[in-house]
Amino acid sequence: MSEPIIRLEDVSRVYDTGKVLVPALVDVDLTIDPGEFVAIIGPSGSGKTTMMNILGCLDRPTGGRYILDGTPVEELDDDGLAAVRNRSIGFVFQSYNLLPRTSALENVATPLAYQGVGRRERLARAQAVLEALGLGDRLHHQPTELSGGQQQRVGIARALVTEPALLLADEPTGNLDSRAGAEVIELFRRLHASGRTIVLITHDPDVAAAAERQVHIRDGRIAA
Amino acid sequence: MKLGDLVRLALSRLGTGKLRTALTMLGVIIGVASVVALVSVGQGATAGINSRLQGLGTNLLSIIPGSTTTGVTRGALGSVTTLTIEDATALATLPDVAGVAPELASQRLVVAGDQNETTTVIGTSPAYPLVFAYSMWQGSFLTQASVDHALRVAVLGNATASNLGVGPSSIGSTIDISGLPFEVVGIMQPKGGIGFQNPDDEVLIPVTTARDLFVGTDSVRTIGVSVASAKQMDAATAEITALLDQRHGIGAGGTPDFTIQNQAQLLSTVGSISTLLTVLLAGIASISLVVGGIGIMNIMLVSVRERTREIGIRKAIGARGRDVLLQFLFEALMLSVAGGMIGIVLGVAASAVIAVIAGWAFTFNPLTVIVSVVFSLIVGVVFGVWPASQAARLDPVVALRYE
Ligand SMILES: Nc1ncnc2c1ncn2[C@@H]1O[C@H](COP(=O)(O)OP(=O)(O)OP(=O)(O)O)[C@@H](O)[C@H]1O
Ligand SMILES: [Mg+2]
Repeated sequence: MSEPIIRLEDVSRVYDTGKVLVPALVDVDLTIDPGEFVAIIGPSGSGKTTMMNILGCLDRPTGGRYILDGTPVEELDDDGLAAVRNRSIGFVFQSYNLLPRTSALENVATPLAYQGVGRRERLARAQAVLEALGLGDRLHHQPTELSGGQQQRVGIARALVTEPALLLADEPTGNLDSRAGAEVIELFRRLHASGRTIVLITHDPDVAAAAERQVHIRDGRIAA
Repeated sequence: MKLGDLVRLALSRLGTGKLRTALTMLGVIIGVASVVALVSVGQGATAGINSRLQGLGTNLLSIIPGSTTTGVTRGALGSVTTLTIEDATALATLPDVAGVAPELASQRLVVAGDQNETTTVIGTSPAYPLVFAYSMWQGSFLTQASVDHALRVAVLGNATASNLGVGPSSIGSTIDISGLPFEVVGIMQPKGGIGFQNPDDEVLIPVTTARDLFVGTDSVRTIGVSVASAKQMDAATAEITALLDQRHGIGAGGTPDFTIQNQAQLLSTVGSISTLLTVLLAGIASISLVVGGIGIMNIMLVSVRERTREIGIRKAIGARGRDVLLQFLFEALMLSVAGGMIGIVLGVAASAVIAVIAGWAFTFNPLTVIVSVVFSLIVGVVFGVWPASQAARLDPVVALRYE
């Protein structure tokens, strides 16, 4: 059995608002193996986004250990976390979060720029990913010139361009109509079939059903 | 991120808000343009003064009629007629004086062949080249004999000679001054110089000839005195004062009717004042550079705020704090350096125009350009680094949530 890609051991995250302490995650244990397609599902306020921020190395746990792809995250400094986000993780956001006034091609190429990849090579790689996702004729469109579904596919292309070990999606269908949403879910399914590790966060059981494993979260705890 | 990527990013960003970019740069443009123009004007003025200093005779004292020693103006300087040719002759005997050249000047029509020109005709003594630092190009200068006998001989300034088509072969030929024939005995070397009066456009004749034929009086416009050495300037001044006081019957405590000017001293004082003024004005102008920098800082702070979400996205996809810092710093640098470049162009253009108007040679000093570019770089860094570090320090989770 290979090393798990994600191992959370007793992870907790307590927000300190100055007045009160809000425990958003409490003693979470979770293991995800390479190639798994996992949905984290729970009601609003249950701690899904908190979980995603920690899994994505945007935030640090206040307790416990997080080992990502063999690396204990607490040992990394801010630049180390940035490098992990850059190379090991691909984010897909609910609101797409494309760079404004920037073409689809440049958007997808940007993570490679932060790796120091030369311009010619990164544009070629970005174009290849966009073409694979059926956006070959939208390379030079700006986000405002794309439909929601197209924007989300550009966002997925940007997450994939660095060949990350882990694809993290927070409510990726939340802003889409049911058809565009279904297309995105279908895309995740195909990516999973080609061997990618995907963690999808949602409150929608229909979306979660697409994954091969569901992890239920309630009040910051994993429910069996 | 690589340097080229940072530059491209900053340029594309500045291109998206052209009016805002232009307005932000305006402060730096005005600051740099005024510094460049003022420094250039200052240098032009100083260069002008220096070339006049060089054109002055060695250890020259100029004596002019009228008094400046009292606070009360008693007629404009030079409007009184108290200095005479005899005064000049007497001054030549003083121990510390090396040469004395009176000037008895009037504007005359000079004709040579079919060429003619109206120029200054000056009656003077053989000491004129020594006193006013001229040297001969062709022929020889006026002799003492020509003064003693009031001969009709003339020496031409270089510019006058070429204006009249008088060359080396014309030594010994005849020209007409106000219709009277004069023999050309010499042509002087060009002295060059700046300002409105060309020192090479003049005709020199014996002082006695000028008195007899053109002016009709003894009174001279100036008497130039060349002192034997720089150390003897004070002694010479005292001797001249004593001699002229005695000749003009001015007792102790009386008001002299002449003024002795040390032109070199005067000019170097004017020169240092002009340098001081230049520094002062450039200092004031650089305040506007600072104001321009504050404008950049203001816009950058607004920009960081507006683009908080973009910063969050960039951090999520792998930008380190340093990448974000450099991105915003480069934008500030582009603003300040581009503003600086435009400012240099405007400043150089302005100083060229001023040079033409003021009549001095326009000099382009590359050092000014280098200094201005360095200064705008510094302004960009100083006023860009704080907004940029604000951006770099943003927490990605908070920034992503920002609406
Ligand atoms: N920055 C914060 N400071 C204080 N409390 C916070 C902060 N962020 C989240 N919380 C709290 O932590 C808990 C979990 O929040 P989280 O955003 O993870 O929920 P969620 O499952 O993503 O909800 P939703 O489905 O509505 O997005 C909530 O009770 C929330 O109020
Ligand atoms: Mg959430």
